[in-house]
Amino acid sequence: MFSNFVFAQSAPGNIRFNLTFGSQPVEIGKNYYSPATGDSIKLEVVKFYISHLQFFRDNIPLAVLKKQHMLVDAGNPETLHFPIPEEAAGKFNRVVFNLGTDSLTNVSGAFGGDLDPTKGMYWAWQSGYINLKLEGVSKACPARNHYFQFHIGGYQSPFPSCQIIDLPAIAKNDLTIEVALDSFFSQVNIAETYQIMSPGQQAVSFARLFASLFSLAK
Amino acid sequence: MKTLLFYLLFPVLLCLAFAGKTGYEFLYPDYFPTPVYDFSKNPLSTERVELGRVLFYDPILSKDGAISCASCHSPYNGFAHTDHDLSHGIADQIGTRNAPPLFNLAWHTSFMWDGAINHLDMQALAPISHPKEMGENIENVVRKLQHIPGYPGLFYRAFGDSLITGEHVLKALSQFQLTLVSAHSKYDNVKKGKTQFSQPEENGYALFQKNCNSCHREPLFSNFGFANNGLPVDTTLYDFGKGQITQRKEDSLKFKIPSLRNLSYTYPYMHDGRFRRLSEVLSHYTHGIQENETLAAELKTPLSLTPDEKTDLIAFLLTLNDSAFVFDPKHQFPKEILQPGEGLLKQ
Repeated sequence: MFSNFVFAQSAPGNIRFNLTFGSQPVEIGKNYYSPATGDSIKLEVVKFYISHLQFFRDNIPLAVLKKQHMLVDAGNPETLHFPIPEEAAGKFNRVVFNLGTDSLTNVSGAFGGDLDPTKGMYWAWQSGYINLKLEGVSKACPARNHYFQFHIGGYQSPFPSCQIIDLPAIAKNDLTIEVALDSFFSQVNIAETYQIMSPGQQAVSFARLFASLFSLAK
Repeated sequence: MKTLLFYLLFPVLLCLAFAGKTGYEFLYPDYFPTPVYDFSKNPLSTERVELGRVLFYDPILSKDGAISCASCHSPYNGFAHTDHDLSHGIADQIGTRNAPPLFNLAWHTSFMWDGAINHLDMQALAPISHPKEMGENIENVVRKLQHIPGYPGLFYRAFGDSLITGEHVLKALSQFQLTLVSAHSKYDNVKKGKTQFSQPEENGYALFQKNCNSCHREPLFSNFGFANNGLPVDTTLYDFGKGQITQRKEDSLKFKIPSLRNLSYTYPYMHDGRFRRLSEVLSHYTHGIQENETLAAELKTPLSLTPDEKTDLIAFLLTLNDSAFVFDPKHQFPKEILQPGEGLLKQ
Protein backbone atom coordinates (compact mmCIF):
# COMPACT_ATOMS: atom_id res chain seq x y z
CA MET A 1 0.00 0.00 0.00
CA PHE A 2 2.67 2.43 1.09
CA SER A 3 4.98 1.53 -1.77
CA ASN A 4 2.15 2.12 -4.22
CA PHE A 5 1.69 5.54 -2.78
CA VAL A 6 5.37 6.35 -3.14
CA PHE A 7 5.33 5.04 -6.68
CA ALA A 8 2.33 7.24 -7.57
CA GLN A 9 4.10 10.24 -6.13
CA SER A 10 7.22 9.74 -8.20
CA ALA A 11 5.70 8.19 -11.31
CA PRO A 12 7.65 9.38 -14.36
CA GLY A 13 6.03 11.60 -16.94
CA ASN A 14 4.27 14.06 -14.66
CA ILE A 15 4.41 17.78 -14.39
CA ARG A 16 3.67 18.85 -10.85
CA PHE A 17 2.97 22.15 -9.15
CA ASN A 18 4.54 22.21 -5.73
CA LEU A 19 3.04 25.00 -3.63
CA THR A 20 5.36 25.85 -0.77
CA PHE A 21 5.60 28.20 2.18
CA GLY A 22 9.27 28.35 3.20
CA SER A 23 10.40 24.78 3.42
CA GLN A 24 6.87 23.41 3.94
CA PRO A 25 4.23 22.32 1.45
CA VAL A 26 1.13 24.54 1.42
CA GLU A 27 -1.89 23.14 3.19
CA ILE A 28 -5.18 24.98 3.23
CA GLY A 29 -6.17 26.11 6.73
CA LYS A 30 -2.72 25.60 8.23
CA ASN A 31 -0.81 28.41 9.96
CA TYR A 32 2.59 29.42 8.65
CA TYR A 33 5.00 31.79 10.28
CA SER A 34 5.81 34.67 8.02
CA PRO A 35 9.18 36.29 8.78
CA ALA A 36 8.11 39.25 6.62
CA THR A 37 5.11 40.23 8.74
CA GLY A 38 6.33 38.65 11.95
CA ASP A 39 2.99 36.91 12.44
CA SER A 40 1.22 33.81 11.25
CA ILE A 41 -0.48 33.47 7.90
CA LYS A 42 -3.30 31.08 7.18
CA LEU A 43 -4.19 30.39 3.56
CA GLU A 44 -7.85 29.61 2.88
CA VAL A 45 -7.98 29.72 -0.94
CA VAL A 46 -5.15 29.33 -3.43
CA LYS A 47 -6.50 28.71 -6.94
CA PHE A 48 -5.19 29.69 -10.33
CA TYR A 49 -5.55 28.84 -13.99
CA ILE A 50 -2.68 27.41 -15.98
CA SER A 51 -3.34 27.46 -19.71
CA HIS A 52 -1.71 26.54 -23.03
CA LEU A 53 1.16 24.69 -21.44
CA GLN A 54 3.76 23.95 -24.12
CA PHE A 55 6.91 21.88 -24.09
CA PHE A 56 9.95 23.02 -26.06
CA ARG A 57 13.40 21.80 -26.88
CA ASP A 58 15.19 25.15 -27.10
CA ASN A 59 12.93 26.97 -29.58
CA ILE A 60 11.33 23.92 -31.14
CA PRO A 61 7.80 23.19 -29.90
CA LEU A 62 7.41 19.51 -29.04
CA ALA A 63 3.92 19.26 -27.61
CA VAL A 64 1.04 21.16 -26.10
CA LEU A 65 -0.82 19.85 -23.10
CA LYS A 66 -4.15 18.60 -24.44
CA LYS A 67 -6.14 20.09 -21.61
CA GLN A 68 -5.91 23.76 -22.51
CA HIS A 69 -7.09 25.25 -19.22
CA MET A 70 -6.38 23.73 -15.85
CA LEU A 71 -7.62 25.04 -12.56
CA VAL A 72 -4.92 24.40 -9.99
CA ASP A 73 -6.36 24.33 -6.47
CA ALA A 74 -4.10 24.01 -3.43
CA GLY A 75 -7.04 22.42 -1.62
CA ASN A 76 -7.37 19.59 -4.14
CA PRO A 77 -4.20 17.50 -4.67
CA GLU A 78 -5.73 15.93 -7.81
CA THR A 79 -5.36 19.27 -9.58
CA LEU A 80 -1.65 19.68 -8.89
CA HIS A 81 -0.22 17.31 -11.48
CA PHE A 82 -0.69 16.44 -15.15
CA PRO A 83 0.82 13.78 -17.39
CA ILE A 84 3.50 14.99 -19.79
CA PRO A 85 2.60 14.21 -23.43
CA GLU A 86 4.58 11.36 -25.01
CA GLU A 87 5.99 13.57 -27.77
CA ALA A 88 7.76 15.70 -25.19
CA ALA A 89 8.74 13.14 -22.57
CA GLY A 90 12.46 13.14 -21.92
CA LYS A 91 13.16 15.59 -24.73
CA PHE A 92 12.00 18.98 -23.53
CA ASN A 93 14.24 21.52 -21.87
CA ARG A 94 11.81 24.38 -21.59
CA VAL A 95 8.14 24.82 -20.59
CA VAL A 96 6.02 27.85 -21.44
CA PHE A 97 2.53 28.46 -20.08
CA ASN A 98 0.05 31.13 -19.14
CA LEU A 99 -0.77 31.97 -15.59
CA GLY A 100 -4.41 32.77 -16.27
CA THR A 101 -6.84 32.57 -19.17
CA ASP A 102 -6.23 34.20 -22.54
CA SER A 103 -8.40 37.01 -23.86
CA LEU A 104 -10.10 34.85 -26.51
CA THR A 105 -11.38 32.50 -23.82
CA ASN A 106 -12.69 35.51 -21.92
CA VAL A 107 -14.89 36.67 -24.79
CA SER A 108 -16.15 33.34 -26.16
CA GLY A 109 -19.12 32.54 -23.95
CA ALA A 110 -19.71 29.59 -21.64
CA PHE A 111 -17.29 26.68 -21.31
CA GLY A 112 -17.42 23.47 -19.30
CA GLY A 113 -14.83 21.54 -17.30
CA ASP A 114 -12.36 23.65 -15.35
CA LEU A 115 -13.73 26.76 -17.05
CA ASP A 116 -17.34 26.15 -15.94
CA PRO A 117 -18.59 29.26 -14.12
CA THR A 118 -19.67 27.03 -11.24
CA LYS A 119 -15.97 26.75 -10.32
CA GLY A 120 -16.26 30.18 -8.71
CA MET A 121 -13.62 31.64 -11.00
CA TYR A 122 -15.87 33.85 -13.12
CA TRP A 123 -17.05 37.35 -12.30
CA ALA A 124 -20.79 37.81 -12.48
CA TRP A 125 -20.93 41.63 -12.48
CA GLN A 126 -18.48 42.06 -15.34
CA SER A 127 -17.49 39.44 -17.88
CA GLY A 128 -14.18 37.77 -17.35
CA TYR A 129 -12.42 34.95 -15.57
CA ILE A 130 -10.74 35.36 -12.24
CA ASN A 131 -7.29 34.12 -13.19
CA LEU A 132 -6.18 33.57 -9.64
CA LYS A 133 -7.59 33.69 -6.15
CA LEU A 134 -5.56 34.06 -3.00
CA GLU A 135 -7.42 34.39 0.29
CA GLY A 136 -6.49 33.94 3.91
CA VAL A 137 -5.95 35.41 7.33
CA SER A 138 -3.08 37.54 8.58
CA LYS A 139 -3.14 39.63 11.77
CA ALA A 140 -1.39 42.36 9.81
CA CYS A 141 -4.39 42.66 7.49
CA PRO A 142 -6.74 45.44 8.68
CA ALA A 143 -9.82 44.04 6.88
CA ARG A 144 -12.76 42.44 8.70
CA ASN A 145 -11.61 39.28 10.51
CA HIS A 146 -8.09 40.06 9.18
CA TYR A 147 -9.18 38.38 5.98
CA PHE A 148 -7.28 39.26 2.83
CA GLN A 149 -8.81 38.57 -0.59
CA PHE A 150 -7.15 38.82 -3.95
CA HIS A 151 -9.29 37.96 -6.98
CA ILE A 152 -7.07 38.75 -9.92
CA GLY A 153 -8.39 38.94 -13.45
CA GLY A 154 -9.04 41.25 -16.37
CA TYR A 155 -8.33 40.57 -20.04
CA GLN A 156 -8.91 43.95 -21.68
CA SER A 157 -6.29 46.45 -22.65
CA PRO A 158 -4.70 48.32 -20.92
CA PHE A 159 -4.96 45.90 -17.98
CA PRO A 160 -4.61 42.30 -19.18
CA SER A 161 -3.68 40.18 -16.19
CA CYS A 162 -2.71 36.91 -17.90
CA GLN A 163 1.04 36.27 -17.51
CA ILE A 164 3.35 34.19 -19.69
CA ILE A 165 5.76 32.05 -17.70
CA ASP A 166 8.77 30.64 -19.50
CA LEU A 167 10.90 28.22 -17.48
CA PRO A 168 14.04 26.33 -18.44
CA ALA A 169 13.68 22.67 -17.52
CA ILE A 170 16.00 19.74 -17.24
CA ALA A 171 15.28 17.21 -19.96
CA LYS A 172 13.94 14.39 -17.86
CA ASN A 173 10.56 12.77 -17.50
CA ASP A 174 9.37 14.42 -14.34
CA LEU A 175 9.08 18.11 -13.81
CA THR A 176 8.26 19.94 -10.61
CA ILE A 177 7.42 23.60 -10.68
CA GLU A 178 7.63 25.32 -7.34
CA VAL A 179 5.34 28.17 -6.35
CA ALA A 180 6.91 29.90 -3.35
CA LEU A 181 4.03 31.62 -1.59
CA ASP A 182 6.16 32.86 1.34
CA SER A 183 7.97 35.05 -1.14
CA PHE A 184 4.65 36.74 -1.98
CA PHE A 185 4.19 37.83 1.63
CA SER A 186 7.73 39.16 1.84
CA GLN A 187 7.03 41.38 -1.19
CA VAL A 188 3.49 42.58 -0.44
CA ASN A 189 2.70 44.69 2.58
CA ILE A 190 -0.50 42.99 3.67
CA ALA A 191 -1.26 45.87 6.05
CA GLU A 192 -1.68 48.13 3.03
CA THR A 193 -2.63 45.86 0.14
CA TYR A 194 -5.15 43.25 1.18
CA GLN A 195 -8.07 43.41 -1.22
CA ILE A 196 -8.03 43.46 -5.02
CA MET A 197 -11.20 42.24 -6.68
CA SER A 198 -11.45 44.00 -10.03
CA PRO A 199 -9.33 44.47 -13.15
CA GLY A 200 -6.88 47.36 -13.20
CA GLN A 201 -3.27 48.39 -12.65
CA GLN A 202 -3.16 46.86 -9.16
CA ALA A 203 -4.40 43.52 -10.52
CA VAL A 204 -1.74 43.53 -13.24
CA SER A 205 1.04 44.26 -10.73
CA PHE A 206 -0.27 41.49 -8.50
CA ALA A 207 -0.37 39.01 -11.40
CA ARG A 208 3.22 39.87 -12.33
CA LEU A 209 4.35 39.35 -8.77
CA PHE A 210 2.50 36.05 -8.50
CA ALA A 211 4.06 34.87 -11.78
CA SER A 212 7.51 35.57 -10.32
CA LEU A 213 6.83 32.99 -7.58
CA PHE A 214 7.05 30.17 -10.13
CA SER A 215 10.42 28.48 -10.51
CA LEU A 216 11.89 25.15 -11.39
CA ALA A 217 12.31 23.02 -8.28
CA LYS A 218 15.95 22.31 -7.52
CA MET B 1 -20.79 -11.29 -27.88
CA LYS B 2 -19.71 -7.99 -29.32
CA THR B 3 -22.59 -8.08 -31.78
CA LEU B 4 -25.06 -8.87 -29.02
CA LEU B 5 -23.72 -5.99 -26.97
CA PHE B 6 -24.09 -3.74 -29.96
CA TYR B 7 -27.74 -4.67 -30.43
CA LEU B 8 -28.38 -4.25 -26.72
CA LEU B 9 -26.73 -0.86 -26.72
CA PHE B 10 -28.06 0.25 -30.06
CA PRO B 11 -31.17 2.05 -28.74
CA VAL B 12 -28.99 3.74 -26.12
CA LEU B 13 -26.48 4.82 -28.76
CA LEU B 14 -29.29 6.05 -30.92
CA CYS B 15 -30.63 8.17 -28.06
CA LEU B 16 -27.17 9.55 -27.40
CA ALA B 17 -26.67 10.37 -31.04
CA PHE B 18 -29.92 12.28 -31.17
CA ALA B 19 -29.77 14.00 -27.79
CA GLY B 20 -30.58 17.62 -28.41
CA LYS B 21 -30.30 17.13 -32.12
CA THR B 22 -33.71 18.23 -33.36
CA GLY B 23 -32.48 21.08 -35.47
CA TYR B 24 -33.91 24.52 -34.83
CA GLU B 25 -33.83 26.87 -37.75
CA PHE B 26 -32.83 30.40 -36.80
CA LEU B 27 -34.87 32.64 -39.09
CA TYR B 28 -34.46 36.33 -39.76
CA PRO B 29 -35.23 38.66 -42.68
CA ASP B 30 -32.69 39.07 -45.46
CA TYR B 31 -32.33 42.80 -44.70
CA PHE B 32 -30.99 41.99 -41.21
CA PRO B 33 -27.19 41.85 -40.89
CA THR B 34 -25.38 38.60 -40.08
CA PRO B 35 -25.81 37.68 -36.39
CA VAL B 36 -22.88 38.36 -34.07
CA TYR B 37 -23.60 35.34 -31.85
CA ASP B 38 -21.44 32.35 -32.81
CA PHE B 39 -24.04 29.59 -33.21
CA SER B 40 -21.33 27.03 -34.02
CA LYS B 41 -20.30 27.08 -30.33
CA ASN B 42 -23.88 26.55 -29.16
CA PRO B 43 -25.91 25.00 -31.99
CA LEU B 44 -29.65 25.54 -31.56
CA SER B 45 -31.88 22.53 -31.07
CA THR B 46 -35.56 22.30 -30.17
CA GLU B 47 -34.72 20.49 -26.92
CA ARG B 48 -32.17 23.10 -25.82
CA VAL B 49 -34.43 26.02 -26.70
CA GLU B 50 -37.25 24.36 -24.76
CA LEU B 51 -35.01 23.75 -21.74
CA GLY B 52 -33.91 27.38 -21.89
CA ARG B 53 -37.54 28.48 -21.94
CA VAL B 54 -38.34 26.39 -18.84
CA LEU B 55 -35.29 27.82 -17.00
CA PHE B 56 -36.23 31.35 -18.07
CA TYR B 57 -39.65 31.02 -16.44
CA ASP B 58 -38.63 29.00 -13.36
CA PRO B 59 -38.19 31.06 -10.16
CA ILE B 60 -35.94 28.29 -8.83
CA LEU B 61 -33.12 30.37 -10.30
CA SER B 62 -33.55 32.92 -7.50
CA LYS B 63 -32.44 32.48 -3.89
CA ASP B 64 -35.92 32.44 -2.38
CA GLY B 65 -37.75 30.94 -5.36
CA ALA B 66 -39.73 34.14 -5.88
CA ILE B 67 -38.24 35.68 -9.01
CA SER B 68 -37.68 34.22 -12.46
CA CYS B 69 -36.00 35.86 -15.45
CA ALA B 70 -39.52 36.52 -16.74
CA SER B 71 -40.43 38.49 -13.61
CA CYS B 72 -38.54 41.49 -15.00
CA HIS B 73 -38.52 40.36 -18.64
CA SER B 74 -42.16 39.65 -19.34
CA PRO B 75 -43.12 38.37 -22.80
CA TYR B 76 -46.13 40.70 -22.95
CA ASN B 77 -43.84 43.70 -22.45
CA GLY B 78 -41.37 42.78 -25.16
CA PHE B 79 -39.47 41.03 -22.35
CA ALA B 80 -39.06 44.28 -20.41
CA HIS B 81 -40.89 45.30 -17.22
CA THR B 82 -43.74 47.67 -17.91
CA ASP B 83 -44.44 50.30 -15.27
CA HIS B 84 -41.23 49.58 -13.37
CA ASP B 85 -38.65 52.29 -13.74
CA LEU B 86 -36.03 50.23 -11.91
CA SER B 87 -35.68 46.44 -11.73
CA HIS B 88 -37.45 44.59 -8.96
CA GLY B 89 -35.69 41.67 -7.25
CA ILE B 90 -36.12 39.20 -4.38
CA ALA B 91 -37.61 40.46 -1.08
CA ASP B 92 -39.07 43.49 -2.92
CA GLN B 93 -35.69 45.05 -3.43
CA ILE B 94 -35.33 47.71 -6.08
CA GLY B 95 -32.23 47.83 -8.28
CA THR B 96 -30.59 50.77 -9.99
CA ARG B 97 -31.45 50.25 -13.66
CA ASN B 98 -34.44 49.66 -15.92
CA ALA B 99 -34.78 46.04 -17.05
CA PRO B 100 -34.14 46.21 -20.81
CA PRO B 101 -36.35 44.39 -23.32
CA LEU B 102 -35.02 41.13 -24.80
CA PHE B 103 -35.18 40.58 -28.53
CA ASN B 104 -32.80 40.29 -31.46
CA LEU B 105 -30.06 39.45 -28.95
CA ALA B 106 -28.06 37.49 -31.56
CA TRP B 107 -27.03 40.88 -32.98
CA HIS B 108 -25.93 42.50 -29.71
CA THR B 109 -22.20 43.00 -29.28
CA SER B 110 -22.37 43.50 -25.50
CA PHE B 111 -24.97 43.37 -22.74
CA MET B 112 -26.28 45.47 -19.85
CA TRP B 113 -26.72 49.26 -19.92
CA ASP B 114 -23.02 49.68 -19.15
CA GLY B 115 -21.73 46.90 -21.45
CA ALA B 116 -20.25 45.00 -18.50
CA ILE B 117 -21.09 41.65 -20.08
CA ASN B 118 -19.31 40.61 -23.27
CA HIS B 119 -21.31 37.53 -24.30
CA LEU B 120 -24.94 36.44 -24.14
CA ASP B 121 -23.96 33.13 -22.49
CA MET B 122 -22.46 34.95 -19.52
CA GLN B 123 -25.19 37.55 -19.13
CA ALA B 124 -27.47 35.45 -16.93
CA LEU B 125 -24.76 35.20 -14.27
CA ALA B 126 -25.22 38.89 -13.45
CA PRO B 127 -28.94 38.88 -12.50
CA ILE B 128 -28.62 35.43 -10.90
CA SER B 129 -25.85 36.69 -8.60
CA HIS B 130 -26.95 40.27 -7.95
CA PRO B 131 -28.14 40.60 -4.33
CA LYS B 132 -30.93 42.96 -5.43
CA GLU B 133 -32.06 40.74 -8.28
CA MET B 134 -32.04 36.95 -7.82
CA GLY B 135 -29.48 36.86 -4.98
CA GLU B 136 -28.34 33.36 -5.91
CA ASN B 137 -25.18 31.87 -7.41
CA ILE B 138 -24.71 29.54 -10.35
CA GLU B 139 -23.17 26.76 -8.21
CA ASN B 140 -26.33 26.64 -6.13
CA VAL B 141 -28.63 26.89 -9.14
CA VAL B 142 -26.94 23.79 -10.61
CA ARG B 143 -27.23 21.96 -7.27
CA LYS B 144 -30.94 22.77 -6.94
CA LEU B 145 -31.76 21.80 -10.53
CA GLN B 146 -29.92 18.50 -10.19
CA HIS B 147 -32.25 17.53 -7.34
CA ILE B 148 -35.54 18.47 -8.99
CA PRO B 149 -37.11 15.42 -10.64
CA GLY B 150 -37.47 16.21 -14.30
CA TYR B 151 -34.58 18.57 -14.80
CA PRO B 152 -31.83 15.93 -15.23
CA GLY B 153 -34.03 14.38 -17.94
CA LEU B 154 -34.54 17.70 -19.70
CA PHE B 155 -30.77 18.32 -19.63
CA TYR B 156 -30.16 14.82 -20.92
CA ARG B 157 -32.50 15.36 -23.84
CA ALA B 158 -30.92 18.72 -24.57
CA PHE B 159 -27.22 18.01 -24.09
CA GLY B 160 -26.92 14.22 -23.84
CA ASP B 161 -25.84 14.48 -20.20
CA SER B 162 -28.10 14.37 -17.15
CA LEU B 163 -25.29 15.76 -14.99
CA ILE B 164 -26.18 19.45 -14.94
CA THR B 165 -23.37 21.98 -15.41
CA GLY B 166 -23.14 25.75 -15.33
CA GLU B 167 -22.15 25.71 -18.99
CA HIS B 168 -25.34 23.90 -19.99
CA VAL B 169 -27.62 26.08 -17.86
CA LEU B 170 -26.14 29.21 -19.44
CA LYS B 171 -26.15 27.84 -22.98
CA ALA B 172 -29.78 26.72 -22.70
CA LEU B 173 -30.80 30.16 -21.43
CA SER B 174 -28.93 31.70 -24.38
CA GLN B 175 -30.72 29.42 -26.81
CA PHE B 176 -34.19 30.45 -25.69
CA GLN B 177 -33.26 34.12 -25.68
CA LEU B 178 -31.70 33.86 -29.15
CA THR B 179 -35.05 32.69 -30.53
CA LEU B 180 -36.67 35.96 -29.43
CA VAL B 181 -36.47 37.54 -32.86
CA SER B 182 -38.63 40.58 -33.49
CA ALA B 183 -39.06 41.01 -37.26
CA HIS B 184 -42.80 41.21 -37.87
CA SER B 185 -43.63 44.83 -37.19
CA LYS B 186 -45.39 47.05 -39.72
CA TYR B 187 -41.94 48.45 -40.56
CA ASP B 188 -40.83 44.90 -41.40
CA ASN B 189 -43.91 44.30 -43.49
CA VAL B 190 -43.19 47.49 -45.42
CA LYS B 191 -39.62 46.30 -45.93
CA LYS B 192 -40.92 42.98 -47.16
CA GLY B 193 -43.23 44.78 -49.61
CA LYS B 194 -46.38 43.49 -47.91
CA THR B 195 -47.83 46.84 -46.93
CA GLN B 196 -47.18 50.58 -47.08
CA PHE B 197 -46.62 53.34 -44.54
CA SER B 198 -49.40 55.92 -44.08
CA GLN B 199 -48.47 59.51 -44.93
CA PRO B 200 -47.68 60.51 -41.30
CA GLU B 201 -45.59 57.31 -40.90
CA GLU B 202 -43.77 58.06 -44.16
CA ASN B 203 -43.02 61.62 -42.95
CA GLY B 204 -41.89 60.20 -39.61
CA TYR B 205 -39.60 57.70 -41.35
CA ALA B 206 -37.87 60.57 -43.17
CA LEU B 207 -37.47 62.47 -39.88
CA PHE B 208 -36.15 59.31 -38.23
CA GLN B 209 -33.57 58.79 -40.95
CA LYS B 210 -32.43 62.39 -40.66
CA ASN B 211 -32.34 62.66 -36.86
CA CYS B 212 -32.09 59.24 -35.21
CA ASN B 213 -30.66 56.65 -37.57
CA SER B 214 -26.96 57.20 -36.82
CA CYS B 215 -27.35 55.64 -33.36
CA HIS B 216 -30.70 53.82 -33.60
CA ARG B 217 -29.68 52.29 -36.89
CA GLU B 218 -32.23 50.32 -38.89
CA PRO B 219 -33.19 47.56 -39.30
CA LEU B 220 -32.38 46.62 -35.68
CA PHE B 221 -32.80 50.25 -34.57
CA SER B 222 -29.58 50.33 -32.62
CA ASN B 223 -25.93 50.23 -33.59
CA PHE B 224 -25.41 48.63 -30.14
CA GLY B 225 -22.82 51.26 -29.30
CA PHE B 226 -22.68 53.47 -26.22
CA ALA B 227 -23.51 57.14 -25.96
CA ASN B 228 -24.16 59.93 -23.53
CA ASN B 229 -27.53 61.28 -24.68
CA GLY B 230 -27.45 64.30 -22.38
CA LEU B 231 -29.64 63.06 -19.55
CA PRO B 232 -28.98 64.98 -16.34
CA VAL B 233 -27.51 62.68 -13.67
CA ASP B 234 -30.17 61.33 -11.31
CA THR B 235 -28.79 62.35 -7.92
CA THR B 236 -30.55 59.47 -6.19
CA LEU B 237 -28.58 56.97 -8.30
CA TYR B 238 -25.34 58.64 -9.47
CA ASP B 239 -25.07 56.17 -12.31
CA PHE B 240 -22.16 56.90 -14.67
CA GLY B 241 -22.78 53.90 -16.92
CA LYS B 242 -19.94 52.50 -18.97
CA GLY B 243 -17.38 54.72 -17.21
CA GLN B 244 -17.92 52.75 -14.02
CA ILE B 245 -16.87 49.58 -15.80
CA THR B 246 -13.97 50.80 -17.92
CA GLN B 247 -12.74 53.40 -15.39
CA ARG B 248 -12.16 55.69 -18.36
CA LYS B 249 -13.21 59.33 -18.22
CA GLU B 250 -14.26 59.32 -21.85
CA ASP B 251 -16.86 56.61 -21.09
CA SER B 252 -18.50 58.53 -18.27
CA LEU B 253 -22.32 58.76 -18.59
CA LYS B 254 -22.36 56.53 -21.65
CA PHE B 255 -25.12 53.92 -21.78
CA LYS B 256 -25.93 51.26 -24.32
CA ILE B 257 -28.06 52.55 -27.19
CA PRO B 258 -31.37 50.66 -26.97
CA SER B 259 -33.37 49.40 -29.94
CA LEU B 260 -36.51 51.37 -30.78
CA ARG B 261 -38.53 48.28 -31.63
CA ASN B 262 -41.58 47.49 -29.48
CA LEU B 263 -41.64 50.85 -27.70
CA SER B 264 -45.36 50.60 -26.90
CA TYR B 265 -44.65 47.51 -24.82
CA THR B 266 -41.37 48.44 -23.16
CA TYR B 267 -42.01 51.72 -21.35
CA PRO B 268 -40.75 53.39 -19.22
CA TYR B 269 -37.70 54.54 -21.17
CA MET B 270 -34.00 55.25 -20.58
CA HIS B 271 -31.51 53.35 -18.38
CA ASP B 272 -33.32 54.49 -15.24
CA GLY B 273 -36.84 54.41 -16.67
CA ARG B 274 -37.29 58.13 -16.08
CA PHE B 275 -39.66 58.80 -19.01
CA ARG B 276 -43.06 57.15 -19.18
CA ARG B 277 -44.14 58.53 -22.57
CA LEU B 278 -42.53 58.80 -25.99
CA SER B 279 -43.49 62.49 -26.09
CA GLU B 280 -41.30 63.03 -23.01
CA VAL B 281 -38.43 61.27 -24.76
CA LEU B 282 -38.75 63.52 -27.80
CA SER B 283 -38.96 66.60 -25.55
CA HIS B 284 -35.70 65.52 -23.97
CA TYR B 285 -34.02 65.44 -27.38
CA THR B 286 -35.42 68.84 -28.37
CA HIS B 287 -35.18 70.74 -25.06
CA GLY B 288 -33.66 68.64 -22.31
CA ILE B 289 -30.15 67.72 -23.40
CA GLN B 290 -27.50 68.63 -20.85
CA GLU B 291 -24.20 69.66 -22.33
CA ASN B 292 -21.12 67.96 -20.89
CA GLU B 293 -17.75 66.53 -21.91
CA THR B 294 -18.88 63.14 -23.14
CA LEU B 295 -22.14 64.22 -24.82
CA ALA B 296 -22.66 62.44 -28.16
CA ALA B 297 -21.43 64.57 -31.07
CA GLU B 298 -24.77 63.99 -32.82
CA LEU B 299 -26.59 65.73 -29.96
CA LYS B 300 -24.39 68.84 -29.59
CA THR B 301 -27.17 70.59 -31.48
CA PRO B 302 -30.52 69.54 -30.02
CA LEU B 303 -33.13 68.09 -32.34
CA SER B 304 -35.49 70.63 -33.85
CA LEU B 305 -39.00 69.25 -34.37
CA THR B 306 -42.32 71.04 -34.84
CA PRO B 307 -45.35 69.60 -32.98
CA ASP B 308 -46.54 68.06 -36.28
CA GLU B 309 -43.15 66.54 -36.88
CA LYS B 310 -43.17 65.03 -33.39
CA THR B 311 -46.55 63.47 -34.13
CA ASP B 312 -45.25 62.04 -37.40
CA LEU B 313 -42.07 60.74 -35.82
CA ILE B 314 -44.08 58.98 -33.13
CA ALA B 315 -46.38 57.54 -35.82
CA PHE B 316 -43.31 56.02 -37.45
CA LEU B 317 -41.91 54.73 -34.15
CA LEU B 318 -45.20 52.93 -33.52
CA THR B 319 -44.71 50.99 -36.77
CA LEU B 320 -41.82 49.28 -34.94
CA ASN B 321 -44.25 47.56 -32.58
CA ASP B 322 -44.26 43.85 -33.26
CA SER B 323 -47.38 42.33 -31.76
CA ALA B 324 -46.75 39.01 -33.53
CA PHE B 325 -43.52 38.78 -31.54
CA VAL B 326 -44.95 40.05 -28.26
CA PHE B 327 -47.87 37.64 -28.28
CA ASP B 328 -46.08 34.64 -29.81
CA PRO B 329 -47.12 31.62 -27.69
CA LYS B 330 -43.75 29.93 -28.45
CA HIS B 331 -42.10 32.49 -26.19
CA GLN B 332 -44.56 32.34 -23.34
CA PHE B 333 -44.75 30.48 -20.05
CA PRO B 334 -44.23 26.74 -20.76
CA LYS B 335 -47.39 25.65 -18.95
CA GLU B 336 -47.15 22.13 -20.31
CA ILE B 337 -43.90 21.66 -18.36
CA LEU B 338 -43.90 24.19 -15.52
CA GLN B 339 -46.75 24.95 -13.16
CA PRO B 340 -46.95 28.29 -11.35
CA GLY B 341 -46.29 27.73 -7.67
CA GLU B 342 -45.57 24.05 -8.26
CA GLY B 343 -42.44 24.14 -10.36
CA LEU B 344 -41.45 21.53 -12.86
CA LEU B 345 -44.06 18.90 -13.62
CA LYS B 346 -42.74 15.35 -13.39
CA GLN B 347 -41.35 14.35 -16.75
